[in-house]
Amino acid sequence: MKKSIVENVFWVMSNVLVIAYAVIPMLWIVSLSLKRGSDLNDQQFFPQTISFEHYRNIFSDMQFASAILNSIGIASIAALFSVLLGMLAAYAIVRLEFPGRRLMLIGILMTAMFPPVAIIGPLFDIWRITGLYDTWLGLILPYMTFTLPLAIWILAAFFREIPWDLEKAARIDGATTVQSFIRIMVPLAAPSVFTTAILVFIFAWNDFLFAISLTSTDNARTVPAAIAFFTGSSRFELPIGSIAAASVVVTVPVMIIVLFFQQRIIAGLTSGAIKG
Amino acid sequence: MISIRLISTLCIISLTMLAGCSDQKKKEVTSTLNWYVFNEPSGAFATAARNCSENSRNTYQIKLVPLPVDPDQQREQLVRRLAAGDQSIDIIGMDVIWTAEFAQAGWILPWRSEMKKEALAGRLSAPLQSVMYQDEMWGVPYTTNAQLLWYRTDRIKEAPATWDEMIHLAETLGESGIIQAQGERYEGLTAFFISLLATAGGSVLDTRHEKISLAQQPTLQALSTMARFANSSAADRTLSTTREDQARLAFETGHSSFMVNYTFVWSSIQQNAPGIAPHIGWARWPSLSKDKPGRTAIGGINLAVSAHSRYAQSAFQAAVCIASEQHQRIAATLGGLPPTIAALYDDTRIRETFPFADVLRATLRDAVQRPQTPLYNDVSLAISRTLHPMRNIEPDKDYIRLRDAISRALSSKGLL
Amino acid sequence: MPRRNEQPKQRQRRHNEWYQAWLLCAPAVLVLILITAYPILYAIWLSFFQYDLRFPDQRTFIGLDNYISILTSEVWWQAFGNTFILTVSSVTLELMVAFPLALIMYHTVLWRYAVRTATLLPYAITTIIAAFAWKFAFDPTTGFINALSGMEQAWLTQSWSSFLVIILTEIWKTTPFMALMLLAGLTLVPHELIQAARADGANAWQRFMKITLPLAKPAILVAVLFRMLDAFRIFDTVFILTRGAQGTETVSMVGYNTLIVSLNLGLGSAVSVLIFISMLIISALFIWGFNIKTGVDQK
Repeated sequence: MKKSIVENVFWVMSNVLVIAYAVIPMLWIVSLSLKRGSDLNDQQFFPQTISFEHYRNIFSDMQFASAILNSIGIASIAALFSVLLGMLAAYAIVRLEFPGRRLMLIGILMTAMFPPVAIIGPLFDIWRITGLYDTWLGLILPYMTFTLPLAIWILAAFFREIPWDLEKAARIDGATTVQSFIRIMVPLAAPSVFTTAILVFIFAWNDFLFAISLTSTDNARTVPAAIAFFTGSSRFELPIGSIAAASVVVTVPVMIIVLFFQQRIIAGLTSGAIKG
Repeated sequence: MISIRLISTLCIISLTMLAGCSDQKKKEVTSTLNWYVFNEPSGAFATAARNCSENSRNTYQIKLVPLPVDPDQQREQLVRRLAAGDQSIDIIGMDVIWTAEFAQAGWILPWRSEMKKEALAGRLSAPLQSVMYQDEMWGVPYTTNAQLLWYRTDRIKEAPATWDEMIHLAETLGESGIIQAQGERYEGLTAFFISLLATAGGSVLDTRHEKISLAQQPTLQALSTMARFANSSAADRTLSTTREDQARLAFETGHSSFMVNYTFVWSSIQQNAPGIAPHIGWARWPSLSKDKPGRTAIGGINLAVSAHSRYAQSAFQAAVCIASEQHQRIAATLGGLPPTIAALYDDTRIRETFPFADVLRATLRDAVQRPQTPLYNDVSLAISRTLHPMRNIEPDKDYIRLRDAISRALSSKGLL
Repeated sequence: MPRRNEQPKQRQRRHNEWYQAWLLCAPAVLVLILITAYPILYAIWLSFFQYDLRFPDQRTFIGLDNYISILTSEVWWQAFGNTFILTVSSVTLELMVAFPLALIMYHTVLWRYAVRTATLLPYAITTIIAAFAWKFAFDPTTGFINALSGMEQAWLTQSWSSFLVIILTEIWKTTPFMALMLLAGLTLVPHELIQAARADGANAWQRFMKITLPLAKPAILVAVLFRMLDAFRIFDTVFILTRGAQGTETVSMVGYNTLIVSLNLGLGSAVSVLIFISMLIISALFIWGFNIKTGVDQK
C-alpha cells in the first residue's frame, strides 16, 4: 500500500503541527527565562539578548536550592514506598484468587480519583497536632494517597503481560508463592517496576495542592509551592524572570525522563486504563 | 526553677564574656529572631533589623523573612504557620486588620507593664487603637497609612469637598475627568465602602465590635454614592479590576484628574511622572456633606510577638527597637511609610518627605478602624463579594444582601 | 464459587493462597486506609461541628448546619456551576482535539518517536508551570499573544476571557493523555478489519465511524471518565491564573479557601465531603449510563 505524495505531505504537516502544539508554551517559558530583566516586557517570543541573570538569581536563593532538594527527596521516597507496597499487592491481584479482591480493586480505583481537597483539612489538623506539619513525612504520606493506587494499577496491568509458565515451573519444583515471587517475578518485573516508579515520581513531583497546604518553610516546601510563593518586589509585579527560570529548572528532569522512557511511559499509562 | 534560671543566666553571662574573644562562641548566645513582614524594597526594614541587632549587643540577631506584598497572601501564609504552632516565627509585621483574629486565636502575646509603656509612648491614637483588642494591647504601632485625595491643580482650582462635587467636577472635565479608585474584589473595595460608611456616620459593627450595626440611612447613602460614582463617566473603564497600584499607574499617565489613594503615590509620581508632579495637589478624603469631614479606614502595620516564639522577651525588645522613633524616621524617609509617633509629623525631614504631613495628621485624627473582630477576614470578604462590581450596586436590594452576608460571616457560617 | 468435591488438601492450598494474597495486600491496604479512609472519615466527623482554628476553644456539634449553610450559599453554587462548565467544556473540546491527535500518532511512521515524545511533554510538565506559561503568554504587558494577534485584551481581568484561558490551559495540558488513551483504543482495532473494509470500498470516514469508533468505544469512555473526574477537582490552573477572581472560583478553590485560608475546618470539611459526593455521583452516573466495564472482573 503506497501513500501518495499528497498524503505524505499531509502527515508531515500534521506532525509539525503536533510538535509545535506541544513545544511552543515550553519554548516560551525558556525564552522568558533567558530574557534580560529589562526585556521581559518586550512582548517578543524570542529573547533579543540572551542573559542568565534569572538563573543566577534563583540559584543564589537558598530557598530554591532547598526546595529542589525537598522535591527530589519527597517524590523519590513516595515513589519508592508506593512501588514496594504496590508490587506486593499487584502480584496478589494478578496471580491469586481471593475473597475481597474485587472490593480492593474498586477501592483502589476510587482512591486514585480522590479529590485531594477532601483530605487537606483533616490532614492539616492531624499534622499540626502530631508535628508532621511542614516535614518530609508530612508530604510523603499524602502523596501516597495517589501514588500508591496508581502504582498498584499500573503494575497490575504490567504483571498481566508477564509469562507465568516460568513461575509454575518453579512451583512444581517446590518453591512457595513467596519464593517464586522473589526468584522469578522480580527479575521479570523489574522493567515494569522501574517504569511505574518513574510515572508515580512524576505525579508526586507535580503536586501542588498538598504542597501549599501542608508545608510552610524550607523544611519541606517543594518546588511548585516555592515557585508560586516567589515574592515580587512590588504588589503587582510577579517575579516573571525568576518564575520562568525556576520552571525551566524543574522541567528539565521531567523532560529527560520523558525523552528516554517515552515508550514505556506510554505503555504504563495506557495499559492500566485499557486492561484495567 | 530558680536555680535553673540562675545557672542559665550565669552560663549566658560567661558565654557573653567569652564571646568577646572568639567569634564562634558568639553564635551560641545570639538568638535569631525571625521577623516576618512584607517585602519592602527600599531597605528601610533591613536597616532597622541591622541597627537593632547591633544595638542588642548580640543578645539577638533579627532576620528578615519577606512575605508577599499582597496583604491577603501575607495573612494566608502567616495564619497557616501560626495555627500549626510554627516556632520559627518571632516578630510579625501585622496588618492593622489582623489584631483581633490573631489575639483571639492565641497566636500572639499581649503587651504588658514596661513593654506596654514603651510601646504606647508618643503614639497617635488611631494606630494605638488598632493594636487593642478586649482591653489588652497586642502589638507596637510601627507604620500607619491613610488615603488622601490627590488631584491635578492645573485642571481644578480647589479640591472638591464632597463626592458629589467631585463626580460633578469630573463629569464637566470630559475625557480627562477620571477619578481613580479601588474597585477590584478585594480588601481595597471593603476599605472603600467602610470609609464611605464612616463618612456617612455609620459603622459595620456596633461599638462592642460584636453585633452588626449597619444603620439603614448611612449605609444607603454609602451604597448609592458607590453606585453613582461607578456608573458615571468619572469612573475608569477598568474600575472593577483596579487596586491601589493600578490606580497609581493610571494616574501617572496623566489621563485622570482625581485619585483616592495612600501616600506612597507621592514619591512614585515624582519618580515616574516628573512632568505632572508639580501639578499634584492633595486634600482630605472627600466627604458626603459639607459639615462633616471625610473619614477613611486606617492602614499600616504593627509589630506583634508570636506566642510560639522561643525568645519572646528578646522579641518584645526587638519590636520596640524596630518601632522606635529613629527607625520610624527611616521607614518614612526611605520607604515612604507614615510614622505612628505623633512628634515625627513636626520633624523637618519628615515634612520634606511628606509635604502633606498636616493633612495626613488631620486625616489620621478622624480615621476609622475597620471592624475589630476576629472574623474580620470573613466580614471583609462578605463586603467585597456583595459589592463587586460597584456599577451593579442597587442600594435597596444590596443593603439587604449586605446585612445577610455580614451576619453569616459573623456567625462563622458564611462560605467565602 | 464453592467446589464441593475438592480434596481437603486442595482446600487447604486454596486457603493458603487466600492467606498469602491477603498478606501481600495488607501493607498497601493498611497504608491506604490510614491516609485516605481515616482522613475522609475524620472530615465527615468534622463536618458536623463548628470548628474554626481561629476559635480553638469553641468546638461544638451542630449537626447538618454546615451543609445547610453551604447549600444555601450562592458562593457554593457559583463555584459548582463554574466547575461544571470547566469540566464539560474542557473534556468535550479536548476529546475533539485528541481524536485527530491520536490518528496522527497512529498513522505517522516518519517521526513516530518525535511526535509521541512531544505529546507526552505537556502531560508530564507540572500543572502550575503550564499555567504560568499561558498566564505570561496572555499577559498584556509581557505576553506575545496580544502582540501577535494585534489585540488589546487584558485577558485575565474579565470573566469570559479568564474562562477561555483556563480552559485552553487545561486542554493543552491534558489532551495528550486523552490522545494516548484513544491511541491505545485504536491499536485494539484489528488491522485486517480496516483492510477488508477498504477493499469493500468504504471511505476513510465510513471506516472510522463503522469500525474504529465502535471498537475503540470502551477505551474512549474510560478515558473520558478519568478526565472528567480529574477536571472536576481542578485547582492548580485556576489558583495560578486567577486565584478565583473574575468569578472563576471552582469547588476545590472554595474548599481550599475555607480550610486553609480561613482555617474554618468544620465548614471546610463539609465542602470537602460535598465535593467527594459529587465525584461519586459523576462516576456512578457515568458507569451506569454507559455501562462501562472497568475491567474489575477481568483477570
